Amino acid sequence: MKNLSILTVLTLSLLSGCAGIEPVPAWERGYLADEGMQWQATAREAKLEGHVYTSKEASTGGAGAAGGGCGCN
Amino acid sequence: MVLALQGAAVAATKKPSAPGETERLQAKSPLMRALGASVAALPAYQGALADAPPEFTEVGLRYSRYSEDNLGSDKLIAGSRERYDIDVTQLWIEAPVGSSWSIALDVQNDYMSGASPWFVGTTVEGQPGVIMSGASIQDNRVEVGVTTRYFWADGNAGFNVSHSKEDDYEALALSFDVAWNSADNARTWSLSASNSDDKVVPVDGNIPVFIDREDLDTQSAYFGVSQILSRTAIVRVGLSYTLSDGYLSDPYKLFDQRPDRHRRSALSAGYRKFFTEAQGALQFDYRFYTDDWGTDSHTVEVAWHQNFNRTTLMPYLRYYSQSEADFFGVTADLNADYYADDYRLSSYGAFTAGLRGTVQIGDWQLEGQLERYESDNKWGLYSGEAAPALVDFWRATVGITWRFD
Repeated sequence: MKNLSILTVLTLSLLSGCAGIEPVPAWERGYLADEGMQWQATAREAKLEGHVYTSKEASTGGAGAAGGGCGCN
Repeated sequence: MVLALQGAAVAATKKPSAPGETERLQAKSPLMRALGASVAALPAYQGALADAPPEFTEVGLRYSRYSEDNLGSDKLIAGSRERYDIDVTQLWIEAPVGSSWSIALDVQNDYMSGASPWFVGTTVEGQPGVIMSGASIQDNRVEVGVTTRYFWADGNAGFNVSHSKEDDYEALALSFDVAWNSADNARTWSLSASNSDDKVVPVDGNIPVFIDREDLDTQSAYFGVSQILSRTAIVRVGLSYTLSDGYLSDPYKLFDQRPDRHRRSALSAGYRKFFTEAQGALQFDYRFYTDDWGTDSHTVEVAWHQNFNRTTLMPYLRYYSQSEADFFGVTADLNADYYADDYRLSSYGAFTAGLRGTVQIGDWQLEGQLERYESDNKWGLYSGEAAPALVDFWRATVGITWRFD
């Protein structure tokens, strides 16, 4: 938990630094809409990937709230 | 535990267009040339990121095969060497409803067969070895989920209910998520919460079980923010917290006695950078995880998403390393309050290498993916004895999606 606290402080510091970023007008955001710029390939792939890793590794979380359980873990 | 389905409703918002289509349009149209690249790119942006219901109905079907390598004969004391194979079928339909809503129905079926480690003993040479269950374990899991989502000018909110049922496990989960944008639409805040009520009803098969029925309640929350850094870069950070209360042991392992409470936290960060000349995007993701069972982990994922004409290819690499849980032992210490010899609680490192591709044919999209996962105690960042049952596996996926008005 101590490590997490340190990382959280660092993250919040980085975020506060984002306040100085020059805004990008809406008409210059075409590249941001590219498929490769999304946070997950597809919702279904993210769900399956999460299912596999969560059932085979001790870790979970980081990409949203956890959903329902299964007998696989 | 599986992740709540998020972002499903916005997935069908944008009808796919071939990469480079904007540039071709500009070349053909004097008006577009006059307006320049910015305006030409605008429809794509509006379609993909605006807080509006999907413009198209989407129907999709995916099939995945998950196959674990056999346990090495040098690590087996008794039982079958065969480990799990799982066939996963995902079917969904997602559609706009009116001008501000969308709804999605997801059905997933998992058919599992094979054997799993029952407990870890000691070979005649004094080395740890695995006693496996027989190879006749079979189980089928069906999960049905419904997601509704409401969109307004500066954000969207979704509600999901899902029910998962298998021979020996049942879960009912509810989740809620909301995302809202800053005034300049450069920053998006996300919040989600979920609750899952699970029932464990182990089935006596070729190994004995010692409980009839147990319950498990899990609550989880996530808070994140994404920030546009430039016209080609975006960053995201998030924090998640999960609390589980109830039966957390594995009823199919002989020596498995875990605490009945588990608090888990994760800090995640992601970065995306588009390279205009290469027409490709670099993806970087990191997660730090920690829990009150003594496990910490680091996960790093790097991918390159390359656009071609109507095709995309994405090679990716993932590295994962975890420390062992406080009560883990290569062979369980039965004198302790809590004990487990489950390899998933041991210290190890793992690499995943994969390739994902899509092809767009009119309103249809085909997808394929293949990945290899290998784990080893020596690859870990943390010290700890090697568990003999660490898993390696292949995962392959094919899918087809149809979008229509």
